[in-house]
Amino acid sequence: MNLLRTIAGKIGGALLVLFCVATVVFFLVRISGDPVKVLLPPDATVAQEASLRASLGLDRPLFLQYLHYLGGILRFDFGNSLFYDQPVSSVLAERLPATVELAAAALVIALVLAIPAGTLAALRRGKSSDTGVMTGVLIGQSTPPFWAGILLILVFAVGLQVLPASGYGGIEHLVLPSVTLAIYSVAMIARLLRSSLIDVLGADYMRTARAKGLGELGVVLGHGLRNAALPVVTVIGLEVGSLLGGAILTEQVFSWPGVGRLTVEAISNRDFPLVQATVLFFAATFVVVNLLVDLSYTFLDPRVRVRA
Amino acid sequence: MTARRQSRRDALRLGGLATLAPLLGACGVSAAEPRSRVLRVSQPDEAKTLDPQKQGDMPSMNVLINMFDTLTTRGTDNRLGPGLATSWSVLDEQTWRFHLRPGVRFHNGEPCDAHAVQYSLDRLRDPATHSPIVELRYVDGATVVDPLTVDVHTSKHDPILPAKVSLFGGVAVPPRYLDEVGPERFARDPVGTGPFRFVSWQRDHELRMRAFPGHWSGRPKLAELVFKPMPNPASALAALQSDEVDMVTQLTPDAARQLAGYGGVRIENFPGMPTYYLSLNTREGPLADRRVRQALNHAVDVPLLVKAVLDGKAREVPTMFPREANGFDPAIPAYTRDIRRARQLLAEAGYPNGLDTRLTASNADSQVAEAIAGLLAHAGVRAKVTVLDPSTYKSRLTSSNSGALGPIYLAKNTGWTGDAESLVQSNIRHDRRQSRWHDPRADRLIDIEESAVDPRARMRAFTELQWLLHTEAPFVFLFQLDNILARNDRPRWRPNAVGVLDMDSAEVTG
Repeated sequence: MNLLRTIAGKIGGALLVLFCVATVVFFLVRISGDPVKVLLPPDATVAQEASLRASLGLDRPLFLQYLHYLGGILRFDFGNSLFYDQPVSSVLAERLPATVELAAAALVIALVLAIPAGTLAALRRGKSSDTGVMTGVLIGQSTPPFWAGILLILVFAVGLQVLPASGYGGIEHLVLPSVTLAIYSVAMIARLLRSSLIDVLGADYMRTARAKGLGELGVVLGHGLRNAALPVVTVIGLEVGSLLGGAILTEQVFSWPGVGRLTVEAISNRDFPLVQATVLFFAATFVVVNLLVDLSYTFLDPRVRVRA
Repeated sequence: MTARRQSRRDALRLGGLATLAPLLGACGVSAAEPRSRVLRVSQPDEAKTLDPQKQGDMPSMNVLINMFDTLTTRGTDNRLGPGLATSWSVLDEQTWRFHLRPGVRFHNGEPCDAHAVQYSLDRLRDPATHSPIVELRYVDGATVVDPLTVDVHTSKHDPILPAKVSLFGGVAVPPRYLDEVGPERFARDPVGTGPFRFVSWQRDHELRMRAFPGHWSGRPKLAELVFKPMPNPASALAALQSDEVDMVTQLTPDAARQLAGYGGVRIENFPGMPTYYLSLNTREGPLADRRVRQALNHAVDVPLLVKAVLDGKAREVPTMFPREANGFDPAIPAYTRDIRRARQLLAEAGYPNGLDTRLTASNADSQVAEAIAGLLAHAGVRAKVTVLDPSTYKSRLTSSNSGALGPIYLAKNTGWTGDAESLVQSNIRHDRRQSRWHDPRADRLIDIEESAVDPRARMRAFTELQWLLHTEAPFVFLFQLDNILARNDRPRWRPNAVGVLDMDSAEVTG
């Protein structure tokens, strides 16, 4: 019962966050400028601007526009994109698969590389393999994605000509952008896992596990990684949010038709409904992932379950 | 050196291909058409929509002009020519009559006749269409005279209406199809009369078209045409080098320079219409003095700017009229570039030690703005450069406050109608929004060229206006930028001065 109450409380908190984000983005985007100025060419007359403003409903009082917008959200209707003159939901739905595909591929690459790298560095602390891994991590964390992307294009697309330089389609198009996007995540997760595992390796229960006669691999996998996973799971959760929303530069470099590029275009076009919807999408992604991470704690960490 | 690098790359390429051949089979051209007849073109921006009446921007028009026809056209000779209309004439001061080409059909078989043209103009003017196309502002409506004749009515005489219907507002849309499927489906699955018919579109990735054999100008030489938006110039150039596109268009001189020397990549530049100038706020401050404005024109060494910053891919303009525009008078001289004269004029105006000012530009033009500030500094004009993101720049440009972009700003005009009227409609007459100059002589000349029925009277007004601009210098006249593209050895194509990507005449080999 207590657990259910905790979950309900967290969901309520998440909804409150989303309401606040929806409100802030509505008013914030409206002080960024007039979309009609961007939609029409510079030689449009004042009368032509006024006519378009009225036909788009942008001349109505702000509060009425706000109520209309909130009512729409409750019905999952985010209005029509001013720039594309299409329902925002269909514009977003067109780009979402590409973003999810890229984020998922990047996350898989990040986990596959980061977990062994972090574990190795922790187990060989202070040795040359640790130094090697940590140097790689440092380079990965300090490499901007647009630079890494161009470098990968030059090597694998222009030089070796084994992978396409850009575009969207089969798995061959996914390789370079997902590797580019994963570089930072690999570095961050490996670094965190290393420090978390180093803390855990010195714990009493690890000594007990060894004293029970468990092999080193069993100790590290069964006791070490499980206990070191808690902070790492939190970061991976946040990374999922970042990968879904923060691939803007990678999408730009690889001409990847994702939500990140759409957001940048929507902001520069002052496309209010589209900006509102994409910001809400990113916020909802973060909130939902955080909620899931919070809930996963109750299963990963018995102390949380007991407190609940 | 190039040959050595090439051979090493070829060897690596062969090795790579051997290992990844199955993967590569999936990318590139469609299985239906042999590669030799497919042209893949990249441009920096994606089409906004495939409904031609809901867009007013060049990236959209570049794509749509291949699927839709316009009433008139502008070929590579830059002359206005027939399109869906074979001829046109002034019926009276408020009516233009267009005679339409017989036998034209939309891709779905629907006839494109006077009714379709009338329907198209009515739909364009309907506020529910939310059309951003503004140049047909004087059009009141259209009447069908017979199936191949349509009269277009205007609220006042519009001498360049035929030029205005060579792009954007001149597109014909299919009435029956639109009524059947509605605007949303039309934008997803467009039907036009153009040389290519729509096949598929994945937004921000690829738009594919196939040749329409029934086009009135004959079957295009290409079998398929593919547009790929590539916002990052470095990625676009990499795609060209790795044979994923055949042509990269709308390059900046800087990006084109980076490609120089690479094997298999050809850089081409063609005379372009987009014209750059500095707008000066003549209503207040030092710029109210004609001598200061003339001094700025003497100080900005445009030939040097073109050579050093634009890699020679632009041409100096004597005033703000590009050479290809109707109304350009070659007798008008450009300002002599003379720093001593500039300093002398500034001293006569009361600024012997020069002056401090501000120069605003869109961040897309920041390099040019910085270079101009450097040139002005030679004459003692210390201009602090402010760059703005394009949307903020445009909002301030069209705001009711004519000083919102500061005393000097760098501006550009695409001049796509090919008539000088479009270049001077918003920035000369004192009551226009972007005007920062009040001269009754200029107002009178604008009135003449905007309303005269006699083309010769318009030409006289344009010539007189160019002399006035030269003398009064309400702007600093700069250059017209070339259309620059990079291509591999396969395509053959030449743009007109507007640079619109109509690929009807394009060919590919190999």
